[in-house]
Amino acid sequence: MRSESSMKVETMKARTSQPSATVAFSNSFLLGFVLVFSSAIGFCTLSSAHYSTLQAGTSDSNYDGGGSNISAFSRFNRYIMQSYYEKYENLFDSDFQDFVAQELPFGLCEVLPHDLSFVVRPSILHRNLIGRGSHRHLTSSIRVNIKPEPIYELPTHHCELIIIERLPSGVFADPFELQHLLQRGAYNAIAVFGDANLELPSFLSNRTAVEVHMDIGHNFLLRHDKESNINIELPLHARYPPLDESGYWEVKFGMPDLFMRCSMEGTSQNQSCLYKMPEINGSELGYANLVWKIPSGMKAHAGIVSTLTFVAALISAIAIAATSIFHSGVASGKHLKES
Amino acid sequence: MVSVQFRTLLIVSAILRVVLILYGEWQDAHMEVRYTDIDYMVFSDAASLMMSGKSPFERSTYRYSPLLAFLLIPNSILHRSWGKFIFSAADLLVGLLIRMILKLRGVPEKLSMISVIVWLFNPFTFTIGTRGNCEPIVCALVLWVFICLMNGRVLQAAFWYGLVVHFRIYPIIYALPILVILDPHVFQPGQKPRLQYWNRWQESPQSSSATRLAQLLCPWFLLKSALTRERILFSFISAVVFFLFTGLFYHLYGWDFLYEALLYHLTRTDPRHNFSIYFYHIYLQYHRKLSILEKLVSFLPQLIVQVVLVLSFAKDLPFCCLVQTVAFVAFNKVMTAQYFVWFFCLLPLVLAWSNMKLKWKGVSCIALWVGGQLHWLLWGYMLEFKGQNVFLQLWMASIIFLAANTYVLVSIIRDHRFSPVFAPLEKTSKDSKKLK
Repeated sequence: MRSESSMKVETMKARTSQPSATVAFSNSFLLGFVLVFSSAIGFCTLSSAHYSTLQAGTSDSNYDGGGSNISAFSRFNRYIMQSYYEKYENLFDSDFQDFVAQELPFGLCEVLPHDLSFVVRPSILHRNLIGRGSHRHLTSSIRVNIKPEPIYELPTHHCELIIIERLPSGVFADPFELQHLLQRGAYNAIAVFGDANLELPSFLSNRTAVEVHMDIGHNFLLRHDKESNINIELPLHARYPPLDESGYWEVKFGMPDLFMRCSMEGTSQNQSCLYKMPEINGSELGYANLVWKIPSGMKAHAGIVSTLTFVAALISAIAIAATSIFHSGVASGKHLKES
Repeated sequence: MVSVQFRTLLIVSAILRVVLILYGEWQDAHMEVRYTDIDYMVFSDAASLMMSGKSPFERSTYRYSPLLAFLLIPNSILHRSWGKFIFSAADLLVGLLIRMILKLRGVPEKLSMISVIVWLFNPFTFTIGTRGNCEPIVCALVLWVFICLMNGRVLQAAFWYGLVVHFRIYPIIYALPILVILDPHVFQPGQKPRLQYWNRWQESPQSSSATRLAQLLCPWFLLKSALTRERILFSFISAVVFFLFTGLFYHLYGWDFLYEALLYHLTRTDPRHNFSIYFYHIYLQYHRKLSILEKLVSFLPQLIVQVVLVLSFAKDLPFCCLVQTVAFVAFNKVMTAQYFVWFFCLLPLVLAWSNMKLKWKGVSCIALWVGGQLHWLLWGYMLEFKGQNVFLQLWMASIIFLAANTYVLVSIIRDHRFSPVFAPLEKTSKDSKKLK
C-alpha cells in the first residue's frame, strides 16, 4: 500500500511539473489578449465618437441658403440618378421619364449651345448580353456623331457621355465589382443606385440603375464629322426570380438613356451643361428583345420537395440518434462481459 | 514541449501558407476568378470604415463582431494581406493547440503527429485561412477553452467561451456538454482535475443511456446536480462576458450591430442554393410566411440529434463537440464550405481513439463525403454558370450529401472508443479514514 501511495505521489508530481510550460503559455496568451482588447475598446470608443460628430457635420452642409433661380436643385449632383433618388423612392419608368422631362436643367449654359439635339447624333452599333448563367455582361457599343453643321466659336471645353442603364427587375450590378472596374481605369465614373442587396430574391427588391460616365474627348463639339465610339461592358447578376410554371423567368432589357455633359476648361463642374440625347429606337435595330432567361423554381415542386426534405431530415436524425444510443449502451455491455 | 519533428512540421506548414497567400495576390491581379474570398473584401472594407471613424456595419453584408474589423485595421495601413497572415497564424496556432491537448491526454508521439498533420495539411483548412476567412480564429478560441478546462481553469474557460460565442454564435451548442463535464467529482476547489490518459484498447465504463436519461428526467436530481459551484460560475461568467461585449458594441454602433452580427444569424433563411437540404424548400415557400408549426417541425431533427448526442457522449468532450458540430452543420438551414472548418479542427482530437482503419472504412468515408460534395457542385455549376433549370436535381444532390454526412457520422460513432476526458478525483480524506 505504501508503494502504491508513493507511486501516486510521484505521478502527481510528474503531472504538476509537466504543465508549467502550458501555464506560462496561458499567461502570456491572456496578457497579449488583454493588451489587444483594451486598445480595441479604446479605438472603437474614439471612432464612434468621431462618427457621431461626422453625422452632424454632413447634415449641416446639405442646407443651401440661397434661392437661386438658375438651378432647379439646391446642390450640384455629379450623378443624375442621385438627383432622381432625392426626389423619388423607387425606380419606375414613368417616374424617370417625368423626372427627365421636368426636373433636369438642360442646356443652362451661357456660353455653350443650349440645345444639341440637332447636332449630336448617337447610335448604337451593337448591344449584347454575353454569358450563359446567372452572371453575364451587358455590352453596348455607342457611336456619337457630330453632324457637319456650322457651330460658332466655342471656348475650350470637355465633354463626357453619361449612360444610364435602368436595369429590369431581377437583375442587379454589384457596386464593389464596379469599383474594381473603375480602379482599372475603364471609366470616368460609375455608380449603382437602388437596391444592391445581393441576397434578396427579386420580388423583394427594387430596381437598380447603373450610371456610367465616359470621357468623350477634348473640344468634342468642334469636331465635325468625327465620331467617337464608346464601348461599355457591365457585369450583371441575376437574383432568384419569382416561381414560374415553365421553370424560367424572362427579363427584358430596354435601351439606355444617353446624356452629355460638357464643361468649359477651367471651370468647376458646377458650370457644366447637361444635354439629353435623342431616344434611340431599339426595335428598329432589333435590340428591343435583349432577353435573359433566369432559371426559377416551379410551384408544382413545392409539395413534394417540402415533404421529402422533412422525411429525409427525420430519417437521418433517427439513424444518428439510434446509433448513439445503441453504441453507448453496447459499449458498457461489452466492458462488463470482458471483466 | 515542442519536439524537433513538430517544429519542422510547423515551419513547413507556415511556408506553405505564405506561398499560398503570395499566390493568391498574384491570382487576384492577373486572373478573372479571384483566389481571395469575397468575405475578406467585406472585412477589409469594414476595417477601413472603422479606421476613418465610421461604423463597420455601413459596409453591406458585414455580419461579424466589430472586433474582427478592428483586427484588420492594419490592412489599410500596412498591407491588404495583413488579415490573411493573421488568419493563417491562427491556423498554425490551432495545430499547436491540438498537439497540446493530445499531449495533455497522453497520446503517443506518432499518433499525435498524424493527428496534427490531418489539420495542418488538410486542403480545406489551409485554403480557408489563406483565402481570408476568419474561421481559424474561432477554432483556436474553442480549442483554448478546452485547454483551460483541462487545466482546471474554469474562470478563464468561461471568459474565452463568452468571447467566442460573441464572435460566432455556433459554439453555444457546446454549452451543454461543457456544463455536464464540470462535474463536482472532477472539479474540486484548490485541486487540478485529473485527466484520463490515452489507452490503446480499453473502453471506459459509463452508465447506460437509459439510466442517464432517467436521471435527467427526474427534476430533483437535475436540480441537485445542475446547481454546482463550477457550473454556476461558468454559466454566470460566460454570460456576463457575452452580454458585456454585446452591450458595449450596441452602445457604440446601435441597432445595426445587434441586427447584423446577432439577429441575422439566428433568423437567417437564404433561398439561394447551398449544400443544405432546406434551400429549395425555403425558395419555394419564400413568398409566404411559414406557420409556427412548420418552423418547429423543421427544427425538430436538429434538436433530437443534438440532445441525444449530448446525452450519449458529453463526458468525452472533444468527441461530443465533434459529432455535435457535424450534425449541426448537416441539419442547418444554410450550409457553406467554410462551416466545415468548425469540425475539421475537432477531428484530430478524436482520431487517436478511433478504431476505424484507413483501408477501407476511412477511405470510403472520405470518398463518399467528398464525392457527395463534388456531385452537388456539378449541378450547382449547371445552374449558376450554364443557366439551366436543375433545381430539382440540385436539391436531390443535397439530400444525397446529407445521406453521406449521416453515413460518415454513424461510422465515426460506431468506431469510436468512448473515453472521458476527466477521471474522478480521489476523496483522500475519506479514504484515509477507511484505512484506519
